[in-house]
Amino acid sequence: MNRMKNFTAGFVRENPVFSLYLGICSTLAVSTTLNNAIGMSVAVIVVLVLSNMIISAIRNITPNEIRIPVYIVIIAALVKIIQMLITAYAPALDTALGTFIPLIVVNCIILGRAEAFASKNNIFDSALDGLGMGIGYMFALLVMSAIRQLLATGVLNFANPFDMTQMIFEIRIIPAEYVISMFSQPVGAFFTFAILAAGVAAYKNHLEAKAKEQEKAEAALKKAAKEA
Amino acid sequence: MKKILHLTIFLAVVAAVAGGALAFANDLTTPIIEKNQLAAEKESLKILYPEASDFKSVALKGDSKTIQKIFQVDDTTYIFKMQVAGYKDGTVFMVAINTEGDLLKYHAISNGDTSGIGTKVTEDAFKASLEGKKANEPLDTISGATVSSKPVVEGIHEAAAYVDEYLK
Repeated sequence: MNRMKNFTAGFVRENPVFSLYLGICSTLAVSTTLNNAIGMSVAVIVVLVLSNMIISAIRNITPNEIRIPVYIVIIAALVKIIQMLITAYAPALDTALGTFIPLIVVNCIILGRAEAFASKNNIFDSALDGLGMGIGYMFALLVMSAIRQLLATGVLNFANPFDMTQMIFEIRIIPAEYVISMFSQPVGAFFTFAILAAGVAAYKNHLEAKAKEQEKAEAALKKAAKEA
Repeated sequence: MKKILHLTIFLAVVAAVAGGALAFANDLTTPIIEKNQLAAEKESLKILYPEASDFKSVALKGDSKTIQKIFQVDDTTYIFKMQVAGYKDGTVFMVAINTEGDLLKYHAISNGDTSGIGTKVTEDAFKASLEGKKANEPLDTISGATVSSKPVVEGIHEAAAYVDEYLK
């Protein structure tokens, strides 16, 4: 149960992007199309799970004073290796993602989870945390890119990441005359992000208020039982 | 003293292991990456001249930042692979020019600018507006996408100047 709770924490409640405010820079930059969003988040999930596992495996022998440089060396090496593998074995994916892959090194979700979770928990839980947080990141990117792509181009489409000329689906929802191209620019990213983050904050407040009410009701019930 | 030694050695070991893993992955992937790039290059040259059997690579003279590579198709025709600036990531394109200065073929490989605006330089309308013109005379840019299309036109002029200077 507890494990399940840890795993799903990243989805909405502790969503790395909208709730912990980690990795926003890459989220704002990449969330222009669904293709970019999916490619980036898959790469992030792979790096996040592996880095969490390695950091968790050496957590007991890592001296506390130099833990951050150790994490950074591990993360940077992992990202570079994955980048080389993608360039070699999936060149089409590499041209599609381009500069986003090396940028994973500076994605603070990865260092953040290493410090906050992997350095204190066992390998299995850390891998699960990485996967959960990665899925949360993917969810955030998908929502943002769907909104931005729709408002900026009026079209929702997704191409085969191994062959960009092959469209998997493409639907025009808003006629070309009524699109807001501002949403493909950084300013559109900020608007979308702010509104979604506010929504998640409202949801969290709602949960908190509900928990408090329940506590109050329970306390009242106890009091009544005592009096009786 | 002992503490600092421990820290130094630990970090050195971690860095060495990471470096070793990187070197291994690099050895493994470099030949494949090089082969892929060569194949991709040949592939894109074939788009311009499907019937040509071989493209001879020509050594670059002078120090141009935009001319990446030159290939010879026949005695008078050259393909320039160019990389030019743009609004964001700019454009990589190929342009075929002959020694008469005719702009024979244009093909954009990639454009990293705003989708729907800058990416117009990869579209057929722009291609059609260029092909058949003189490469060293004024060429039309795309209105509304000047920041992306002007460097392309300037790149074509540069390639034409290169033909005049070195390849005649």
